[in-house]
Amino acid sequence: MSPEIYSEVGSLLKWLLTAAWLLPLLGFLVEIFGGYWADRKSKVPAYLAVGCIATGFLLSLIALGTWVDAADMNLWAFESAGHSAEHGEGAEHGDDHEHATVAEHDHADAHDEEHHEHASADEHHGNDPLKTAFSGTFYRLGKFGRLDVTLDWYIDGLTVAMFAMVTLIASCIHIFAIGYMSDELTEHYEDHFVHLPGGRHFHRPGRFYRFFAYLSLFCFSMLGLVLAGNIFQVFIFWELVGVCSYLLIGFYVERHSASTAANKAFIMNRVGDFGFLIGLMVIWTWFGVFQFANTDPAHADQAGLFQMVRTHDGTLVTEGEGMEKTVSLQHIEGEARPSSIPYWLLTVAGLGIFAGCIGKSAQFPLQTWLPDAMEGPTPVSALVHSATMVAAGVYLAARFYPMFTPEVLLVIAYVGCITLFIGATIALVVTDIKRVLAYSTISQLGYMMLALGVGGWIAGLFHLITHAFFKSLMFLCSGSVIHGCHHEQEMTKMGGLYKKMPITCWTMFVGVVAICGLAIPFVTLPAIGAVAFSGFHSKDAIIASALTFSSLNPVHSLLFYVPLITAGITAFYMFRMWFMTFFGKPKDHHVYDHAHESPTVMTAPLLILSFFAIFVAVGGEAGPLVTLYGAAEPAHVAMGATDAGNIGLNLPSHEQIHNFHAQAGMAALLVAFAGTLLAYLFYASGAVDPGTVKRQFESVHEFLVDKWRFDVLYDWMWQRPVHVVASWCTAFDKYVLDGLIHGSASSVVKIAQWDRKFDEAVVDRSVNVLGEVTMSVANWFRGLQTGQLRQYVMLIAVSVVSLFVLVFIFFPGQ
Amino acid sequence: MSNDAILLSATIFLPAIAALFLAGFDKKAVEAMRMYTLAVTVIVFGLTIAVLGRFDASNGDMQMLVKASWIPTWNIYYQLGVDGISMTLVLLTAFVFVLAAMASWSIKDKVKGYLMLFLILETGVLGVFLSLDFFLFYVFWEVMLLPMYFLIGVWGGPRREYAAIKFFLYTLFGGVLMLIAMLMFYFNSAGSELAGGESVFDLLTLMKIAQAGQFNQQIQIIAFVLLFIGFAIKLPSFPVHTWLPDAHVEAPTPISMILAGILLKLGGYGIIRIAMPLCPYGTQYAAYALVALGVFSIIYGAFAAMAQTDFKRLVAYSSVSHMGYVLVGLAVWKINESGATVGINHWQMGLSGAMFQMLAHGVSSAGMFFMVGVVYDRVHHRDLNKFGGLMQKMPHYSALAVVIFFAGLGLPGLCGFIGEAFVVLSTWNFSPLLAIIAASGVILTAGYILWTVQRVYLGPEYKGPHAEDLTPINGREATIGWIIAIFAVVLGVYPYMMLGMMETSVEKLTQDLAAGYNASMDPAAESVTSVSE
Repeated sequence: MSPEIYSEVGSLLKWLLTAAWLLPLLGFLVEIFGGYWADRKSKVPAYLAVGCIATGFLLSLIALGTWVDAADMNLWAFESAGHSAEHGEGAEHGDDHEHATVAEHDHADAHDEEHHEHASADEHHGNDPLKTAFSGTFYRLGKFGRLDVTLDWYIDGLTVAMFAMVTLIASCIHIFAIGYMSDELTEHYEDHFVHLPGGRHFHRPGRFYRFFAYLSLFCFSMLGLVLAGNIFQVFIFWELVGVCSYLLIGFYVERHSASTAANKAFIMNRVGDFGFLIGLMVIWTWFGVFQFANTDPAHADQAGLFQMVRTHDGTLVTEGEGMEKTVSLQHIEGEARPSSIPYWLLTVAGLGIFAGCIGKSAQFPLQTWLPDAMEGPTPVSALVHSATMVAAGVYLAARFYPMFTPEVLLVIAYVGCITLFIGATIALVVTDIKRVLAYSTISQLGYMMLALGVGGWIAGLFHLITHAFFKSLMFLCSGSVIHGCHHEQEMTKMGGLYKKMPITCWTMFVGVVAICGLAIPFVTLPAIGAVAFSGFHSKDAIIASALTFSSLNPVHSLLFYVPLITAGITAFYMFRMWFMTFFGKPKDHHVYDHAHESPTVMTAPLLILSFFAIFVAVGGEAGPLVTLYGAAEPAHVAMGATDAGNIGLNLPSHEQIHNFHAQAGMAALLVAFAGTLLAYLFYASGAVDPGTVKRQFESVHEFLVDKWRFDVLYDWMWQRPVHVVASWCTAFDKYVLDGLIHGSASSVVKIAQWDRKFDEAVVDRSVNVLGEVTMSVANWFRGLQTGQLRQYVMLIAVSVVSLFVLVFIFFPGQ
Repeated sequence: MSNDAILLSATIFLPAIAALFLAGFDKKAVEAMRMYTLAVTVIVFGLTIAVLGRFDASNGDMQMLVKASWIPTWNIYYQLGVDGISMTLVLLTAFVFVLAAMASWSIKDKVKGYLMLFLILETGVLGVFLSLDFFLFYVFWEVMLLPMYFLIGVWGGPRREYAAIKFFLYTLFGGVLMLIAMLMFYFNSAGSELAGGESVFDLLTLMKIAQAGQFNQQIQIIAFVLLFIGFAIKLPSFPVHTWLPDAHVEAPTPISMILAGILLKLGGYGIIRIAMPLCPYGTQYAAYALVALGVFSIIYGAFAAMAQTDFKRLVAYSSVSHMGYVLVGLAVWKINESGATVGINHWQMGLSGAMFQMLAHGVSSAGMFFMVGVVYDRVHHRDLNKFGGLMQKMPHYSALAVVIFFAGLGLPGLCGFIGEAFVVLSTWNFSPLLAIIAASGVILTAGYILWTVQRVYLGPEYKGPHAEDLTPINGREATIGWIIAIFAVVLGVYPYMMLGMMETSVEKLTQDLAAGYNASMDPAAESVTSVSE
C-alpha cells in the first residue's frame, strides 16, 4: 500500500482501538463515583459497563474490518483453496509473498546463525513492520539524552484479533454478571461465608456498582496491555491488570480467604515481575529503547527492539562462541551506543521477561495463586482468570518472540510441559467445580507455552484464542450452576442437574468437547476440514508442533509424550466434572431440590460463547482466525532453524509441522477418546468405582489433593524466612543501632558525671580554696579598714615612704 | 531590589513574618489562627507558582539569581536562585505545607505556639532549597532544626522528649559534620583564581572550582564523607535511620507529614546540591558504596517494615526503604578505566528517577501518615493487629487510603512507580548485581503494604477499642485525602510534568560532575594545595 494510505489506515486504527481502550476507563470513573453516592439497587452501573465494553467490541470489529481490508486479506480463502493447499499460512499479504518461497529455503543454511549475510533476497514481511504493523507514540514519560521513555501503540494482526476476542468475551461476561451479581442489588447483603464470633451473620450494603467498576477498570488495563507499543508499557499495564485481579479476587473483602488469596495472587505476580524487571533492565541498558518496532517512516532511524535484534528476514546475527558470543544489533548506524549485546545477556533478558509471563500465566513454579483466585465471583474467574489476564503471559511471550534465543524457547517449552502436567493431575482429584476449571486453565496455559517453546507460534496463539472462548464458556456455565445451586460449589453435592438446567448442561458440554479436542474421526468436509469444535484444531496444532519438535530433537521427546498423555487426562477430568455435575443420582437433595436454570440474561451469553467455542477455529490452521493473526508471525518462525543457539536446538518449520500434522492429530484424538471413555466408565456408567481406585492409590491421591505440596513448600521456603529476617531487622535496629546510640548517650552522661565530680572535687575545690584565701586576705584587710582617718593617713604615709625606699633601693643612682 | 529578589525573598520569609503577626492573635481565637495559617501557606504556594511562572525549564543553569552582601568580612552573601532540581522541591514543600496546615486542625492545645513554629519551619525549609551560599544554607538548615524539635517535643506522643532529643542530636551531629566540610571548602577556595584569591561560601563559585578540579582528591573524599554522613542522617539511610521511626511515632500527624514529605528530601537535596557538585571525585570514589548502601536500605527498610505492629512505625520504615531508591539513583555514575563516564544518559535517568522518587514519596508518604492520623484521631491506637474492617465503617476513607498505599507500593499509574522503576532500570548499567537486589525490593514492598491493607482495611470487623468512634471522615479530611490521591495519579500518569522541569538541570549536573572528575584525575591540573605549597 502507498505511504499515504498506510498512514491513513494507521491513524484510523489507532483512533478506533484507543477509543475502545479508553471507554472502559471512562466507564470505571462514572461507575465508581456515581455508584458510591447513588442508589444501591440501581442496575445502571452494569448497563454503563456493558455499554462501554460493547461499544469497544464494535470499534474493535470496525478496526478488524479496516485491518483486513488494508492488508488485502481474504479471510475466507480457505474455502476455495481447500484445506491442505495453504496449510499454515492462509491468505497472503499485500506483497504477494508466496508461501512456497519460504519452503524452498535451505533451512540449515538460511538460518545458521554464523552466517552474517542471509542469502535470500526474499523480503519476508515479519521484520518489515511497514507491511505488518502500525506503531506510534501517545506521549512521553521521561527523556534522558538519547533515552526516551514513552507510551506507544503497536497494532498488527495479533493486536486486532486480541482486541476483538477480549471485548467480545468481556461483553458476554458483563451481561452474564448482571444476572449473577443481582443479589448484590440490595442495601442489606448477607454474607454466609463470613463467620463472626457468636455465630452472627454478616451484613453489608450491596456492591453491585463496585463489581462493574472493577470489571471496567480491568478491561481498560487489559486492552492497554494489548495495545501497548513498548515493553515498559506492557509492564505498566501488566501490573494494572494485576491490581484489578487483586481487587476482583478480593471483592468479598470481609472474607479472610478472599483477601488472602488476593494478596497471594498479587505477590506471586510480583515475584514474576521481579524477573520481568531484570529483563527490562538488560534491554534498557543494552538497547536503550523499549519500542517493539518503529514503523513511522519519519523516524526510520530509531529502530525498535525487534528491528535491532534481527535482520529483515529474522536472522540473529552473532559473532564468537560460547560465553563470548555476541549478537550484533541492526539499524543503529551513527549512534553512540553498544553495537552488540552478549548472547547470554540476551538470553537472560528473554528469561526475565518470560519470568513475568510465568507469574501472570500461573506457570510452574508460580502456579499456586490461580486456584486460590477462585475466591473471586465467577464472572471474574471467567474473564480475568481464564480468558484474558492469565493469557496475557502467553500473549507477551508470543509478542516478544523475536527477542527469544533458542535457549529461552527451550525453557519456555519445559516450563509449559511441567505446568500442563501438574495442572492436569491436580484437576483429577479436585471436587470444587471452579477449581477443576482453574487447574484446567493452568494446564491449558501450559499447552500454549509449550507450543510457543517448541516453535509453534501459530499453534500457541491459536489455542490462546480458542481456549479463551471455551474456558470462559465453561466458567460461566459453572457460574450458572453455582447460581442455580445457591452458591454450592462442591461437585460431590451435585449430580443429575441436567434436567434442572438443560441449557447450562449442554453449553457446558460444548465447552467440554472443545477442550478435550474431540472430533468425528475420518470425516473431513471439503471446505472446512475436520468436523470438530475449536479446541480440536488448536490442540491438534500444538501436538503437531510438539511432535515435530521432538522428532527433530529426540533428546527432548518428553515434550511430546507428556502433552499427549495429558490430553487424555484432560478429557478424563473434564468429563468427570461434567458427569459429576449433571448426571448420576442427585447426591444432596437439598441442593438438588432448590436448583433451577438461570435467567435468560445469564444463559444468552452462554449460547453466544458456545457458538464461538464451536466455530471460532473453523477451517483450522487455514481458517480465517489464523490467517488474521498469522500475518503477525515473526519472520524467522516459518522457516524453522537447525542447530540454533548454543545448545544446538532444531526448531520446526511450517512445512515440517504440516508433515506431522495428520499423525499427531490421530494420536491426540485417540488419547482424548480414551480419556473420555475412562471418565464415562468411572463417573457415568458406574462400571468402575472411583472410591476403590482412590483407596488403591491413597498416597498419590493425597499428594494430588495437597496440590503437589507447593503451598507447604513455599510457606517454609519463603514466607517464614521472610518473617524471621524481618524480625531480625527490627531487632537489629532496636538492640544494635539504638543500643549503640543509647550506649554512647549513656557514656556521655557518665563522662558528664565524672566531669561534674572532677569539677566539684578538683576545679571547684581549687576555686573554692582560692576563694577562701581571697576571703581571708580580704578579712585581714578588713581589719585595716577601721574607718579612722588617722589610721588611713598613717597608712598612706607609711606606704609612700616605703615605696620611695623601695624605688631607691632598686633603681639607685638615677 | 529586582523582582526576582523580592519574589524569592518573599517566598522564604513570608511564613516567618506571618508567624510574628500570629503573636497578636487572641489566645482563644483558635479557629481564626488556623485559617490564617492555612491562608499563609496557600499564599506561599501561590508565590512558588509565581516562581515557576518565571522559571525557564529549557535552561539548565541557576536562574533568578539574587546576590546581596550579608557579612562582607567573611565573604558571606545573601544569595538565592533556583534551577530545575530545586524548583520541583520548592513546589513540593509549599504543597505539603498547605496539606499539613489543613491537617493541623487535629492539634488542640497551645495552638498559637504550634502554628508559629509551623510557619517558622516553612521558612527554614524553603530557605534551604533556595539558598546558594553555603553559609546561608547552613543557617537555614539549623533554623529548621529548632522548630522541629519543639513541635515533636511539645505536641508529640507519650515518648516525645526522647524522640525529640534523638532527632535533635542526630541532626545536630550531621550539622556539625557539614560545618567542618563547609569550612574546609571555605579555606581551600582561597587558593583558586576562580574565587579571586579569597575564601568564599558562594556555592556557584565553589562548584566552578570543583569542576576545574582545584580541590584535591584528599579534600574531596574527606569532605564528601562528612557531608554525606550529614545528609544521610536526614535522608535517612541505614545505619543512621533509627531516629526516624521514633520521631514519626511521637510526632503529631501534620508534623509527620512534613517530616516524611519534606524534611527527608533535604538529605537527598543536600547530596545533589552540595556534596556531589563540590566533590566530583569524592562522589565517584564513594559511588559504589552509596549505591550499595541505598540498595541495602531498600531491602532492610522493607524487612523492618514487615515486622512492625505499630502502624506509624511501619510507614516510617517504608520511608527508609523508599528513600533508599533516592540514594541508589543519584549515585549510579559509572566510569571506565580511563575515567570517562559510561552511559551518562542512564545516570541522568537515575538522578531524575531519584528526584522523582523524592517528589512522589513527598506526596505518598505525607498521604500515608495522614491516613494513619485519621484513624488515630478516632480510636487513639495504632496497633496493626487491632484494626480490620475499616472498609465497612469508613468506606470513603478506606478507598482513599488504599489508593495512597498503592501509590507507596509503586503501582503503575500512581506516583511511586515512576521513581522506583526509573532508578532500578538505570542501575543495571552501574552494577547488575546491585540492580537485581534493588529490584527484588518490589516483592517485599508489595508484601508489607498488602498485608497492612488486609489487616487494617479488609476483614469483617474492627477488632480494637473505641469502635463507636469510627465515624466517616469529615469534609476537611476528605479534601486532604482527595488532593493527595489526585496528585498521586497525576504524577503517576504524566511524570514528564516534573521530569521535564528538571531535565536540563540534571543533564548539566551530570556533565559538570563528569568534567570535574576528569579534572580532579588529571595530574596536570594544579590543585589548590599544590599551589599553596
